[in-house]
Amino acid sequence: MQHNQTVARRLRGCKGYLYLAPSLIILLVFTVYPLIKAFAMSFCEDYSIIDGSFKGINLQNYQDLFADEVFLKALSNTTIYVVFVVPLSILLSLVLAVLIHNSLRGKALFQTLYFLPYVTSVIAIGIVWSWIFNSNYGLLNYFLSLFGIPAIPWLNDPHYALAALIIFSIWKSLAFNILIFLSGLASISQEIYQAARIDSTPRLRVFFKITVPQLRPIIVYAVLMGLINAFKVYNEVFSLFQSKAGPANSAITVVYYIYDKFYNSGDYGVASAAAVVLFVIILVLTMVQKSIAKEKEEA
Amino acid sequence: MKSRKPSSVAARIAQYAVLCLGAIFTLLPFLWMISSSLKTPAEIVKIPPVMVPAVAQWSNYATAWAAAPFGRYLINTVIVTILTTVGVLITSVLSAFAFSRLKFPGKDLVFSLFMATLMIPGEMLIITNFMTITKLKWIDTYQAMVVPWISNVFYIYLLTQFFLQVPDALYLAAKVDKCSDLKFMVRIMVPMNKSAITTIAILNIIGSWNSFLWPLLVTNSQEMRVLSTGLIRFQTEAGTSYELVMAASCILVMPIVLIFLFLRKYVLEGVAFNGVKG
Amino acid sequence: MKRKSIPCLLLAAAVTVGTLTGCSANADSASTGASSTGASSAASSAATSDSAIQPCEVTFWHAMTGQQETTLTELTDQFNSENEYGITVTLVNQGSYDDLSTKLTANAAADTLPDLSQAYNSWLIPYLDKVVHLDDFVANDYDNYEDIMESYREETSQFGFINAMPFNKSTYVYFYNKTMFDELGLEAPQTWDDLLTIGKTFLEKKNMVSLGFDDMAGMLEATLRQNGCDYVSEEGALFDTDAGQQAIDFIMEMYNNGYARLVGEDGYFSGPFSNQLIPAYIGSSTGVSYITHDGWELGVAPLPGNTEKAANTAGTNIVMFSKDANQQKAAWEYLKFLTSTDATVKWAMDTGYLPVRTSAYESETYQNFMQSDATATASYAQADAFFSSPAFDGSYDIQNAVNSKLEELILNKADGATAMKELVDAVNGAL
Repeated sequence: MQHNQTVARRLRGCKGYLYLAPSLIILLVFTVYPLIKAFAMSFCEDYSIIDGSFKGINLQNYQDLFADEVFLKALSNTTIYVVFVVPLSILLSLVLAVLIHNSLRGKALFQTLYFLPYVTSVIAIGIVWSWIFNSNYGLLNYFLSLFGIPAIPWLNDPHYALAALIIFSIWKSLAFNILIFLSGLASISQEIYQAARIDSTPRLRVFFKITVPQLRPIIVYAVLMGLINAFKVYNEVFSLFQSKAGPANSAITVVYYIYDKFYNSGDYGVASAAAVVLFVIILVLTMVQKSIAKEKEEA
Repeated sequence: MKSRKPSSVAARIAQYAVLCLGAIFTLLPFLWMISSSLKTPAEIVKIPPVMVPAVAQWSNYATAWAAAPFGRYLINTVIVTILTTVGVLITSVLSAFAFSRLKFPGKDLVFSLFMATLMIPGEMLIITNFMTITKLKWIDTYQAMVVPWISNVFYIYLLTQFFLQVPDALYLAAKVDKCSDLKFMVRIMVPMNKSAITTIAILNIIGSWNSFLWPLLVTNSQEMRVLSTGLIRFQTEAGTSYELVMAASCILVMPIVLIFLFLRKYVLEGVAFNGVKG
Repeated sequence: MKRKSIPCLLLAAAVTVGTLTGCSANADSASTGASSTGASSAASSAATSDSAIQPCEVTFWHAMTGQQETTLTELTDQFNSENEYGITVTLVNQGSYDDLSTKLTANAAADTLPDLSQAYNSWLIPYLDKVVHLDDFVANDYDNYEDIMESYREETSQFGFINAMPFNKSTYVYFYNKTMFDELGLEAPQTWDDLLTIGKTFLEKKNMVSLGFDDMAGMLEATLRQNGCDYVSEEGALFDTDAGQQAIDFIMEMYNNGYARLVGEDGYFSGPFSNQLIPAYIGSSTGVSYITHDGWELGVAPLPGNTEKAANTAGTNIVMFSKDANQQKAAWEYLKFLTSTDATVKWAMDTGYLPVRTSAYESETYQNFMQSDATATASYAQADAFFSSPAFDGSYDIQNAVNSKLEELILNKADGATAMKELVDAVNGAL
């Protein structure tokens, strides 16, 4: 009897894996395996992806990496980028999503409008934004000139290139976040709001006392994913600066560096080492974020 | 409703003002894409740029369409997108259910492993995966374009968050009623999270519709290529025929916009908690 | 918090294990990598054996689009129907050059390279041992190899063996707005001094920057060579000489005086040039198809020089990867056809690329074509000054470093001496 019970419990224990199996198998083959291989490559000096040869197992790639000014630049750029893009993007999209959700008319229209950037061709977006940022006839400088601000060479001057990238990326991330928040808002029970309406609670209070706490798991999700994605920024650079990393490499990011080392220089080991460094940074930060989220939950 | 305070009216106006201002920035690139697709090459390079072409060059669409077998590409794209999306939905629902409701040893470890896969740039995985696909002899097949993408941790995690929102009481009640896990998942969890599942479907459809490098890498014959690979037909090392790129982009994007318009209402639709909550 | 760290530790452990197993497995395959060099010996035997070619399919990967692809398809159809062996060449477009390069790398790793592919020399470095040596084919079965333009022969034998046949070649030329030049009484420049004069005139009379370069590293290399100075080698920078300093002084003078500007947000100069916002630029001869000149006359001239003439060449060559002797011979038949005088003339006239043979330039058809095509004429006029940048392990990194450093120096309006020092450091640091 007791034996049967343990078997049953064990079976129930395995059930979770049964449900996970499809994802797990594919992840193991197409993500975990190449990931482990990349980790291994990062410790192999002069690794060749073509025939798998290498000079030796050591930390040479990491030494080269941290001796490379371009990588350090990429690292600091990426950090600045994350610090600005993640909070601003979450905040903006949360506000916009709530505004869309609460609008009586045009809800569907606004939802569609704010979704459009997600389907617009990346090339088109890149071109349009390089037009918006253009120093001579760009929309942004025209807008700024209304306030008496002189023309800024956004894409030509290394000092502004990263700022341009940040503005562009915040815009680009809005569509995704708004969609996520909207579906989160839709899942909040209307009863809670109705109760608030009867009490005629002020709007802002409703936002902070009901919406934000109810949306918490989705906000945590959006922050975490925003963080991970921001650290992996690459396509935005590529499309904004037309296959370059900005004037004089001023807007280079870590993944841009990785891509360039891997596919253009053939420095597979160094590229892998950079990927491992990025991995560790993201891992540490997500753990910190998770523990903060958990503390708040418990508080 | 009728006796609204003036401050509330002002708030409404402010709300729409903000929404409209934001909408301009989201709409502009899209409109520009459409207007550029109707320009002449001279209008494309015109400085300062022209917003509306003098004469709409509809022939750009014909030229772009003729540059590659887009009909065949369209069929392939539809097949790959449907297969990938169905696959993603199934694996995501199953995994999210396991992570949110089931108890099993090593759950935290597996979840950390899932999360860890997000932290390495996909660009690093391409060559190894290509070698795997070659070993499986999947080059030039649909499964090469579909299988690696039917598990997506972004979606699994998102859905887990939504599933966790469903009150535990429901699950326990179902257990008392001898409702099996699978049945509970299909009958209660999925309908209750329609909004999130639709969102995932939309995101995945777009992702797979637009994916470019991987489909290009694992296919060699025209018969297996997808729409996005047609876009690069108009670029050379010396420059790009933007009017044709834009025309092709518009062709590429239209079906997605239609799908979105169709699915949109499910995202906004709230869940009918009342019935099940009881 | 404590519970969370356990999975991470385990993950780290898994990674460490993976590291060890991963590396040892790779070490095993390292020895097998050498066997693929056998391809070269196969090449020689294939070239010398007399047995007839069996009918087969030859795959050719390329990155040609639009008119280029149309012409390539026409030529290939002609070859497929006319060749006596029943060889069928299948063309596969693999996207842009970047896409093609990525695709070749991936297929080199999986050992599934096509029979033929367009490629730049610099791409081949990681998998050079998979490239078929064409020396014996050329020696035994090729019509007048000396007829191929000298610079192309040099380029395709820079690794110590013939690694490719030249295909879609272009050169950098000087595009100028002839209408504007006439108005100011200026002519196309022949020397650096002419460039300075033009720069000064445009700045004073029209307040215009008068020159741009699409390719900055290419500009530096050409300018050095125009002063009889070498650029770089695997050892590092070679231009830290008096001649090099003169060249760099000249470059900085052009930019610091406002005679030249960076392309920046414009991407390519063909845009502002078409809009008459800049009266001249130096870029690829194939870029002419992106220039629109409404209401003004386009002029095209060879690159100006100083003590010497030097003009960059660009464009890919065709590389062979076939392993099977019969495939190699079949692929070679196609290469012979594609680089024949007739085919290269047709290719050049339809696409704006340059013929690869001297006899093609001298043919009546192409001579007639040149009369009406200023770009072709200007390109041919500098044919004896063609050079190509050497490719070696690290040459990409040098190019990258130089591009970025030059932009920085120009933005900072650095003087010649600083520019020299920082460029030398950038080149040597990239290695």
